[in-house]
Amino acid sequence: MSALRHFAIGAAALSMSLSTPALAQEKTDFRVAWSIYVGWMPWGYLEESGIMDKWAEKYGIDVEIVQINDYVESINQYTAGAFDGVSATNMDTLSIPAGGGVDTTALIVGDFSNGNDAVILKGEGDLASLEGKPVNLVELSVSHYLLALALDSVGLREADLASVINTSDADMIAAFQTDDVEAVVTWNPLVSTILEDPNATKLFDSSDIPGEIIDLMVVNTETLEANPDFGKAMVGAWYEVMALMAAGDEAVLTAMAEASGTDLDGYKAQLDSTEMFYDPADAVAFTQSADLPATMVSVAEFLFDKGILGEGAPSADFVGIAYPDGSTTGDPNNVQFRFDTTYMQMAADGAL
Amino acid sequence: MRLINRQPGVALKAALMALPFVLTFVAYWIGSEIRLAENPSDKLLPAPSTIAATAERLFTEPDRRSDRILLWHDTAASLMRLFLGVGISALLATILGVLIGLLPHVRATLAGFVAVVSMIPPLAILPILFIVFGLGELSKVVLIIVGILPFLIRDQSQRVLDIPREMIVKAETLGASSLVIALRVVLPQLLPRLIQSVRLSLGPAWLFLIAAEAIASEVGLGYRIFLVRRFLAMDVILTYVLWITLLAFLMDLALRTLSRKAFPWTEASL
Amino acid sequence: MDGGQPVSFVTAENIFQSYGARPILERVNVTVDEGEFISIVGASGCGKSTFLRLLLAQERPTRGEIRIAGAPPAVEPGLDRGVVFQKYSVFPHMTVRENIVAGESFRTTWGVFSGAHKKAARDRADDTLARIGLDHVADQYPATLSGGMQQRLAIGQALAAKPRILLLDEPFGALDPGTRLSMHDFLTELRAETRMTVFMVTHDLEEGFKLGDRVLVFDKPRWDPTDPNAYGATITYDFDARDGGIPFQRIEEDTHVLRPA
Repeated sequence: MSALRHFAIGAAALSMSLSTPALAQEKTDFRVAWSIYVGWMPWGYLEESGIMDKWAEKYGIDVEIVQINDYVESINQYTAGAFDGVSATNMDTLSIPAGGGVDTTALIVGDFSNGNDAVILKGEGDLASLEGKPVNLVELSVSHYLLALALDSVGLREADLASVINTSDADMIAAFQTDDVEAVVTWNPLVSTILEDPNATKLFDSSDIPGEIIDLMVVNTETLEANPDFGKAMVGAWYEVMALMAAGDEAVLTAMAEASGTDLDGYKAQLDSTEMFYDPADAVAFTQSADLPATMVSVAEFLFDKGILGEGAPSADFVGIAYPDGSTTGDPNNVQFRFDTTYMQMAADGAL
Repeated sequence: MRLINRQPGVALKAALMALPFVLTFVAYWIGSEIRLAENPSDKLLPAPSTIAATAERLFTEPDRRSDRILLWHDTAASLMRLFLGVGISALLATILGVLIGLLPHVRATLAGFVAVVSMIPPLAILPILFIVFGLGELSKVVLIIVGILPFLIRDQSQRVLDIPREMIVKAETLGASSLVIALRVVLPQLLPRLIQSVRLSLGPAWLFLIAAEAIASEVGLGYRIFLVRRFLAMDVILTYVLWITLLAFLMDLALRTLSRKAFPWTEASL
Repeated sequence: MDGGQPVSFVTAENIFQSYGARPILERVNVTVDEGEFISIVGASGCGKSTFLRLLLAQERPTRGEIRIAGAPPAVEPGLDRGVVFQKYSVFPHMTVRENIVAGESFRTTWGVFSGAHKKAARDRADDTLARIGLDHVADQYPATLSGGMQQRLAIGQALAAKPRILLLDEPFGALDPGTRLSMHDFLTELRAETRMTVFMVTHDLEEGFKLGDRVLVFDKPRWDPTDPNAYGATITYDFDARDGGIPFQRIEEDTHVLRPA
């Protein structure tokens, strides 16, 4: 939307400013965006500590890591070409950049949610008691996907609910306090705050569907192909911090905790419900497993069912997804989303 | 001749009026062409033809899941909220404006309070509004009211104070009570000014409506825009934006016409 | 009537008015008989408009009393005092006819007549409009009328309420000289018909003498050159203007005013 404002200035200048998507050419300056979430806090630390600069210098490039307050806006900005990479989930990567024709590669598979996302009911009950109730969540987000899987596990469908009410994550905690709201689906740190209410009952969380909600650093495929050093610097820097975290470095963890607005214990509690891949070999193994294509097919079907893949999408297979072994799901002639373990493998081999 | 005295002719005037619109469209079109040449699936600046096709689909074809034409449902829901919010605000502002403007005791009590309250950014106190008014229709209407009522009250009370004192005194010498002065002298002169103020506050009212719908909703123009933003469906968003612009323009036109038809005496002085 | 003695219709007794510490009027005494036309003249800022507002009861004096027909001093403007200001004396949202009807209907609970009352009031209003020469514009709004017509309407409206006294605050001040002359004729005729008691503030001496039975001159009898606002104004001359405007004068203020030799 902010780009639209430029229109008044003048046709020529404006067309120029809008027509600069990340071009597939060799360059030395890169910008990646991230937003606050437990599994992405290392990105903030990378920029702040100078570790990113150190690795970028090693490969003779410059990488700027920018924090964006609004998660969806950060992905939209990446999709529009303002950034070379962005932190995103597997689902949002498929729906926004890949669905929008921006060929995108998952450079780093950072973690999967293992309890960070949860379905919470006000009062006592189980999943079946959601029937006939309104549910507040960020529509079309991973919360929505989690709800769909949760309902499916007890043989219900979204149509069995009274309604699904799109509610901004920024206002979820306040929303839970109001009388109209009976159930919410959301993510951490909101989940832990809401569960502090003695009246709140957790019905289902992402640890019931491990490996479905995956947190990634995705980058523009053409940019990566033209600039392998960009990938190497990013991955090298990332796993240096992973090693610090795995070793339990309190100074590092405290810095991340404070940046995410909590304290060390709070952050550790969030990490407990996050399956971090501290070791690049684990990330490679996860990405190469046969479960990933199954998950992505399920996500694509969910997105298609909600009409998110666009009206031009004739089926859930509209967008192709490529995996490390060269196999694909979806349309093999329209591959826009690639899981690539090349760079993570380099980190595992100590080749960076 | 000085620049301030040069008037464009009829044809030139029309051309000048069209110019910024054409420039905006051409700028968009060029930008869109360039981006689409780069990536045919680009979602940020869909081609005008894509927007036209999307608009036709949104206006005519039912949604495949709910089997309803969502655009009309969104429009009906949003307009209902907007009319309620603006209507209640206009009514309260008129009553309070007359009381504050005419009665020194009410003015002493409320004028300062309203002036301070009108400085509060309503979006900043949203959580309190939610807890007090819930997340339903009420809170959306209340957000519009909280957003525009203080301005309207200040405006209306000031306009009552702007009525020449001579006119009020004259009414007093004709034996009019406070009630008659309020009903027969102040109110009729306030209404055309109220329409002007409502026209000015429609912009903020739309803003607050869309903000409220973005935060918690299941239907509405603002809801749809923020929902499809999640997958950058700019063709849908731009259709909705153009539709909202048209609706806002028509409302402004309707109020202007109403003012002219209902209050011929305001035109008489021209 | 009081003790068999004829009392004056309007009496202003020892009026003082000050705004804060600043005196505007001091020791104003005047009596006026019913049916007299009083012109009030004086320099700007000499308190003549203040005196009119006191007569109107829009303001109340710091000291002293103004009584009409022996009634207790009024605390706010009311039906007994009609007024025409230089501007804003008619209601812009009402037609010319409605403005006249308002002169009668505003005193009712809701400010409007209904049914037979409405019809009768309209007929009376049309008579009034015919009398003041505005019958041809009865359905127009005041903003379409010329300045002179608007002031005629304002006077007609004030008279429709049948006040005890009529107060005119520079009623012709905004009119061009020609219109002003015809308004003088209009006012003279109307007064001959109604024998209304009139107070008119004007800055035009000639107008004051032409229309008035008496001309009251407001001025400051004491003057402090270091502080022009130290003293208030009072009536320094009270001319009888009935004899074709050729005055004989009574000197009201006998302490500080130079007597003519």
